[in-house]
Amino acid sequence: MGRMTFVVRRLLMLVPVAIGVTIVVFFMIHLIPGDPAQTILGIHATPKAIAILHRQWGLNRPLVSQYWLFMDRLVHGNLGLSLYYGTSAASLILSRLPATLWLIAYAAVLAVAVSVPLAMIAATRKDAVRDHVVRAVPLLGLGMPPFWVGILLVYALAIHVHAFPVSGYGTGFGGHLHAMFLPALTVAIALAPVVIRSLRASMLNVLGAEYITTARSKGVPGPRLFLRHVLRNAVIPAVTVLGINIGFLIGGTVIIENVFAIPGIGQLMINSIFQRDFPVVQGVTLVFGVLVVLVNLLADLSYAALDPRVRFDR
Amino acid sequence: MKFRMSTAKTLITAGALVVLAGCGSGGSGGASGPAATGGPVHGGNLVFAAVQDAQSMNNTTVFDNNSIWIFEQIFQPLYTVTDNGKGVKPWLATSYTMSTDKKTYTFKLRPGVKFSNGKPMTSADVRFSIDQNRKATQGWAYLDSAISSVDAPDPSTVVIHLKFPWAPLLADLSIFANGIVPNNYGGQTEAQFYQHPIGTGPFKWDYWHKGQALKLVRNTFYWQKGLPYLNSITWTDVANDNTRELQLKGGQAQIDQTPAWSTVSSLKSTAGVVMHLFNSTQTNYLAFNELRKPFQDVHVRRAISLAIDRNALVKAVLFGNGKPANSLFPPQVPFYQASTPGLQLNIAQAKAEMAKSSVPHGFTTTILVPAGNSDYVTIATILQSELKPLGIKLNITQLDPNVVNKDEQSLKYDMVLTLWTMDIPDPDELATFAVDPKSGARSFFTNYDNPTVVKDTHLAERTTDPAARQTLYNIVQAGAANDAFMAFLYYSPYPYATTTNVHGFFVTPLGNMHMENVWLSK
Amino acid sequence: MSAISFPEPVLAAEAEEHAQPRGARRWYRQPALATGLILLGIIVIAAAAAPLLTPYDPIKQNLGASLLGPSAQHWLGTDQTGRDTFARLLYGLRTDLRIAFIAVLLPFCIGTVLGSIAGYFGGWVDSVLMRLVDIVVAFPFYVLIIALVFVLGPGQRSIYIAITLVGWVSYARIIRGEILVAKRQDYVLAARAGGLSAIRIIGRHLLPNVITQAIVYAMSDIVQDILAIVTLGYFGLGVPPPTPDLGSMINDGQNFLTTHWQLTTFPGLAVVVVGLSLSLIGDGFADLIRPGQL
Repeated sequence: MGRMTFVVRRLLMLVPVAIGVTIVVFFMIHLIPGDPAQTILGIHATPKAIAILHRQWGLNRPLVSQYWLFMDRLVHGNLGLSLYYGTSAASLILSRLPATLWLIAYAAVLAVAVSVPLAMIAATRKDAVRDHVVRAVPLLGLGMPPFWVGILLVYALAIHVHAFPVSGYGTGFGGHLHAMFLPALTVAIALAPVVIRSLRASMLNVLGAEYITTARSKGVPGPRLFLRHVLRNAVIPAVTVLGINIGFLIGGTVIIENVFAIPGIGQLMINSIFQRDFPVVQGVTLVFGVLVVLVNLLADLSYAALDPRVRFDR
Repeated sequence: MKFRMSTAKTLITAGALVVLAGCGSGGSGGASGPAATGGPVHGGNLVFAAVQDAQSMNNTTVFDNNSIWIFEQIFQPLYTVTDNGKGVKPWLATSYTMSTDKKTYTFKLRPGVKFSNGKPMTSADVRFSIDQNRKATQGWAYLDSAISSVDAPDPSTVVIHLKFPWAPLLADLSIFANGIVPNNYGGQTEAQFYQHPIGTGPFKWDYWHKGQALKLVRNTFYWQKGLPYLNSITWTDVANDNTRELQLKGGQAQIDQTPAWSTVSSLKSTAGVVMHLFNSTQTNYLAFNELRKPFQDVHVRRAISLAIDRNALVKAVLFGNGKPANSLFPPQVPFYQASTPGLQLNIAQAKAEMAKSSVPHGFTTTILVPAGNSDYVTIATILQSELKPLGIKLNITQLDPNVVNKDEQSLKYDMVLTLWTMDIPDPDELATFAVDPKSGARSFFTNYDNPTVVKDTHLAERTTDPAARQTLYNIVQAGAANDAFMAFLYYSPYPYATTTNVHGFFVTPLGNMHMENVWLSK
Repeated sequence: MSAISFPEPVLAAEAEEHAQPRGARRWYRQPALATGLILLGIIVIAAAAAPLLTPYDPIKQNLGASLLGPSAQHWLGTDQTGRDTFARLLYGLRTDLRIAFIAVLLPFCIGTVLGSIAGYFGGWVDSVLMRLVDIVVAFPFYVLIIALVFVLGPGQRSIYIAITLVGWVSYARIIRGEILVAKRQDYVLAARAGGLSAIRIIGRHLLPNVITQAIVYAMSDIVQDILAIVTLGYFGLGVPPPTPDLGSMINDGQNFLTTHWQLTTFPGLAVVVVGLSLSLIGDGFADLIRPGQL
């Protein structure tokens, strides 16, 4: 199968997945006990007042016809109005999306930046003490509750040493870079062990390959050998690991956004679930779902780019 | 304000939130904070770290406090609440006269008041505004239900005709929902208008990035000479208690709304931070559902109320920053009766009440708690161990706040924790809400029904003589206390932490803030 | 849970790396595995022997002795309602370990069965199951768990159900991948030709050879489950009070970070140590068993 056919096929597969995601989220959120009218009306939620709002929002119709209406709107690019704010759900989501994308990208970059040198240290002396240390210590990161790490980091680096702002998103590129360092680091700590592990494994793989042995025997100096051959070939699997874990990354940002008061879509999603703001929840889930599928596709493609032997027949 | 709902954010915050009321050492009369070196200065942007984003700027339909406290800086009413929360003072009106049949009020408007677009405010604007609120049946219209019509005979005079004599009228007019907007919304639709609202208040609209920040800037046409001091105020949406506190300490925010009670004492001793505890009207209750057995039995309710150690609650939940409650009304409300015999801790008496009840050997029941509200969880676990000696096995059911509110309001619970804060400086709104089973709230969602108490509550509405009203409200408070239809738990203050360069920040017992008086020293 | 996953090539690379004779490795020669097992052993024993290690009842309140600092009586001090923090820590470990281990079982079984079916039969069964997997994977994991616990109401039952609904996916993927490879092996082809039933082939011949991968994954999965339970506690959706649980302890202690740091730090550290020990076991176990497969 050619690469283009593969991409097209994968993109087509997006459709049933997206429809599945909408069905699951639509019925789940509507089956949760609770009521958006309750959120808006508070103690004034008399049965009559609730009924008026339900009619206004179309919540009095059968669930299936509500779903149909939702899909009909969706096909026309309309996610509906937020029940809580009364404004367009799509614009709410769009205004919050950049912060989350920033956080994810930043965390991924930090994780790679930390992992590459560590994996190199480990891979160049397999089974030495330093190899075991590099493999064991980051495992701590796997077991740390992210919100707990976040709080401790803020205390250490924002309160005691005023190196970073306590929270927030910042303004402008430099501002984001500065303000989002701690949240991105928190996510990266959980992510790094995974990246280190795959990097180390693939580096060992490359180091054992024939062409490296050949290069070595030809007297190519160690550092150059590492940069030119080993690293280049080992980084892509690590990026692939990031891609595969995109769902985990996005899920993790929900908590980090809460701890660091970052106005991203994770926070929006949780708030909207609590407020029973159905259109926004549906919209955010859809965005998340499409993002995950697309990034996975990119990961597959990048992996294929690395290794032409990969056949597109999964 | 209002009986504050357990909000969604409460859950996210996972920390102490909805807790505020009556005691504390708050500043008095407008100014607070340490003595400033020199007088007020103009300028600066103040960042107000709020627990939750606003919902809408529509002052006639919104019940959410975080919206209310913001649009109160934009819209102003004819009368406003005094700093002690017990009365009103002239605001956009300067005076009124009442007819001898007590059914017609004539108000003189304050001269020189302008909207933030420069247009002068006239009686037509006032008439329109009050009429809009009266139409808001999905909102605050019920507070204006005694009004039959509003006239505007000349630009500076407004006449309000009542259906019957109505004691709380001025108090009702002081609510934000009766704040003044331009006649006919300045030619816009209601929805358009509230996207970029215009009012006579000290601040005017700048922007609202939903879920992030809402900014108001100085209204250059503001009627109070020399005010406001600040150039602008930005409300930010910071759900996490810790994050708000850290922002304050890190200088990213100047005001931290409702720091957790557990942090109050450490904030008091933190350099660069001033911890305020403003007198409030918040009262926390334990409500019993009289539709469910055995809570229709007055002895059971009295036994539970007598078994609760309120001082221990105040210590454990509020860290001492509150007072045990003895009445349905909080001390900051007019006609509060300090000698009301709210049933306080007395184990022997509690056991005697249980013995007289339909369940002398105890029973198993549940308390409904909104998930994530750690203060309520603490109260519930304390109640659990305090009711054990009575033979009452208390199970804690945690549900999402939205569901808790719904179950409470449809009387699908055994016991539930609840609270109230006043919206108007008059006990009528609370009394009707809490004790009248025929009101929309079915006696604070308990189905409590004591005909004497109900009768006197409604009599008090139409009694304008303060002494006579006091007598009636004494009967109401005593009756409610003896029936123990709810166990009155505690009164708590409003906690706000500010940086030391914030001056003039004050919150009335009703929660109103006059941000025009706030200034930032350099 | 579908938290952290590795692409198959990486696992293969790791496996190659360890292609050594089996006899050379015993568990105690594996520093990672040995350390992990010892750590976990200590934790499990401490949790199991909680009543012997502390005289305090973890739910007994003493409002007169709240927020005490560490002392000889209360090693880690007391919390807001005067409960002994050390006792709550031990009993909380009990709660969380129990829930996490139980929570892993169902997704493990369901995922293994579905993964075997998809891998062995292929065709439309495989397509349908894998699309289902795609849908679950497309949801952000924590959001899904939180939403599910919301639907079902906080409590242990909800945690089990939520983790199962999300967690089976990873096992299904792993087992399916392994079966796809293993079913082409000679002995399986021979068994097939010999007319053995599919159930028998899967159960007797395939699963014993592929299940180890799932077991390795289960170790890191338990870590993820514990973190999920703790995070639910942070959102107030965890184990209902007064049952001690590390997540609620961390959450309740958060506000005391400046004044009583021990309230949130020690439960946090406990989670970290449990996580570390399980990760080490998973890693070491992987090293131990992979050579045997190739």
